[in-house]
Amino acid sequence: MSPIPLLKLAWRSIWRNRRRTLISMSAATFGLFLVIFYSSLMSELIGDAKNQLDTTGLGHVEIYAAGYRQKPQASRAFKDPAQLVRSLSLPPGSEAGYRVLARALASSAHASEGVEVHGVDWAGESHLASYLGDLRAGALPAADDARGILVGEKLAQRLKVSVGSKLRLMASRADGEVSADLFRVRGIFHSISPALSQSRVVVSAATAQELLGTEGAGHQIVVQLSEPAKADALAAEIGRKLGPEYEALSYGQLIPAMRSMEALMDNALTVAAMFVYLLVGLGVLNTALMSVMERTREFGVMMAVGTRPRRLVWQVLAESFWIATVSAVVGLALGLLVTWYGSEHAIIDYSKRLGEGMDLGGITISSVMRTGFSIPDSLKAAAYVYAMALLVGLYPAWRVSKMRPAEALRKA
Amino acid sequence: MAVVEVEKVSKRYEERGQAPVEALREVSVQIEKGEFMALAGPSGSGKTTLLNLIGGLDAPSAGAIRVDGHDISRMGRSDLADLRRDRIGFVFQAYNLIPVLTARENAEYVLELQGVSAGERRRRVDELFQRIGLAALAGSRPLKMSGGQQQRVAVARAIVSQPAVVLADEPTANLDQATGAALVDLMRELNRERGITFVFSTHDPMVLERADRVVRLVDGKVAGDERKKAA
Repeated sequence: MSPIPLLKLAWRSIWRNRRRTLISMSAATFGLFLVIFYSSLMSELIGDAKNQLDTTGLGHVEIYAAGYRQKPQASRAFKDPAQLVRSLSLPPGSEAGYRVLARALASSAHASEGVEVHGVDWAGESHLASYLGDLRAGALPAADDARGILVGEKLAQRLKVSVGSKLRLMASRADGEVSADLFRVRGIFHSISPALSQSRVVVSAATAQELLGTEGAGHQIVVQLSEPAKADALAAEIGRKLGPEYEALSYGQLIPAMRSMEALMDNALTVAAMFVYLLVGLGVLNTALMSVMERTREFGVMMAVGTRPRRLVWQVLAESFWIATVSAVVGLALGLLVTWYGSEHAIIDYSKRLGEGMDLGGITISSVMRTGFSIPDSLKAAAYVYAMALLVGLYPAWRVSKMRPAEALRKA
Repeated sequence: MAVVEVEKVSKRYEERGQAPVEALREVSVQIEKGEFMALAGPSGSGKTTLLNLIGGLDAPSAGAIRVDGHDISRMGRSDLADLRRDRIGFVFQAYNLIPVLTARENAEYVLELQGVSAGERRRRVDELFQRIGLAALAGSRPLKMSGGQQQRVAVARAIVSQPAVVLADEPTANLDQATGAALVDLMRELNRERGITFVFSTHDPMVLERADRVVRLVDGKVAGDERKKAA
C-alpha cells in the first residue's frame, strides 16, 4: 500500500488545529535552534581557547627535568636537549624543540618588571609558538645575534622601550650567583594573552644558557602535534621511555583548568540539550495526544470502514513525522543560518571593556565571541529532536491501536 | 442464501460499580442476500448493539455471527478489519466523514485500503457520484456540505467497494423528513440496482414503510419479524 495517501491525510490532520500545531512546531524549532546555537558557541569557545594555547607556545606535550615544575630553578636542567629532542619518536607532522627558561628582572631606563625569559632557537621556535610571527615592531633577531631580545607588547609599554632600546636582564644562575646582561630590543610581539604580553621576553637559547650558567642544558622540550587529541597517549609513552628523571605532560595535564572547562561545558551542553529534547518531546506528545483524544470517534469510523490497527498506528506516527520534519528542517535552517552568520561576525564583543582576551586559570579566552559552524553537529542535534518527536508519537499511536471500534464510535 | 446469520446472540455490558446490562438476549436473525431490512424498536432496545455485533465492531457475550460465511466471533482484530473493508459497509447517524478529506477522497478511502489503483478508484467513485448526484460536490470538504449531502457521501463510501451488506445505524435521524425520504429512496434504488443487502436501524415510520422486512427488538429480544409481500 502506498504511504502517500497516509502522509497526505496526516499532513492535513495536523493542521486541523492550526494554532496548537504551530505552537508545538515553534517549541521544537526553537529548542533545536537553541541546542545548535549553544553548542556552536561552546565549541567555538573551547576551540578558540585551545588555539590561544597554541599561540602562546604551550606544547601539546612538554618535557621537564623531574622536579623543575615544582621548583623552577636554573640548575634543574637536562643536558644536551637537542639530542633528547632527536631521540623522541614522534608522529608525522609533529614539531619539537627545546627552551631555556628563567625568571628575571628586566630593567629599562624608565622602569623594572619581573619577566619570564624564554631562550629559544629562533628558527625552530617560530614553528612552536605562533606569537613570534605577530611582531608589531622590529624583526626576529638573527641566529648569531647574542644580544637581541623580543619583548611583549604590554611589557614594552610598561618598560617604555621600543625597537633599539636597551634592556637589562638580571637572573639567578644555576650556581646560585646573580648574573646580569644587557640586551637590545629587536622586536615587539603581540599576544592576545595579557599574561604573555606583559611578562615575556625571548632571547636566543645560547644567550639564556650563558646568563644562567647552564651551557648546553635546557629546561623544557616542547612538542606540537598535528593531532592534539593524541597528546595524552604520547606524553604517557614518552614518560615511560625517559624514566623517572623526566616528567612528560600533555597540555591537559599542564593546564587542568582547560580539561575542567571542556568537561564542564560538555556536561552543561549535554544537560541543556537533554532538557530541551525533553521539552520538545513533551510539547509534541501533548499535541499528538490531544489530537488523538479529540478524534477518538473518527478513529472508530476508520476502524469501522476497515482500517487495520497497524495502519492507525502509522497514521498517528505520520502526524508526528510531519511535526518532527517541519520542526527539524526549520530549526536546522535557522540554526545553520545564525551560526554561519555568527562564525563570520562577532556576536558578543566585550573587547572595549576587557581588551582582546581574558585570562581564566591559565586559559586565554578571546573577548570577541563567535559561533562555530558545523553542519555535522547541527545535523546531529536535528536528528535527536527528530528522533524524540517520533518517539513520543509512539504513545498516542499505541493508544489508538488499543481502541475498540464500538467504544470509539460512542465517544462524542 | 443468508448473508448474515445471527444465532442465539447475547450481549451483556458489565462495568465496574454498575449493574450489568443485558443489551441483547439470545437474538437469532437470518438476513438474505439483497434484503432491504429494518431493525425497529424503541431507544435502548438493542438495535445499535446488534448492528455493531454484525459489523464486528463489538464481540458478543454468547452466540455466533456469520457474515458472508465468515464466523466473525472467532476472528482477530486485523481479520475483522479486513472483513469490514471488503464485505461490510457502514452508514452512521452522524455521517462520520473524515473532515480533512474531500467527498471524493472519503469515498475512495475504502478502495485505497483495498489497494485499488488511483486511476481505478477515481473511475469507480466518479461513476458512483454521477449516479447519486454528487458529481458537483466531489471536491468539497464535508463541513461545506449539507447533512443530506454528507449522508449521501457516507452511502457512497459504504457501497463503493460492493460489500455484501451495508449496516446503517439510524441514517435519517439527523435529516429532515424530505431529505431522509430521499436518502432511503436512494438506498432502496441501489439495493435493487446492485443487489446490495441493506440493514438499517430506525424508529422512523417513513423509513419502516419503505423496508421489505422489519425485525422488531424490545428489551434486547426479537419481538417480531415482518416481511412485506412483493408488490
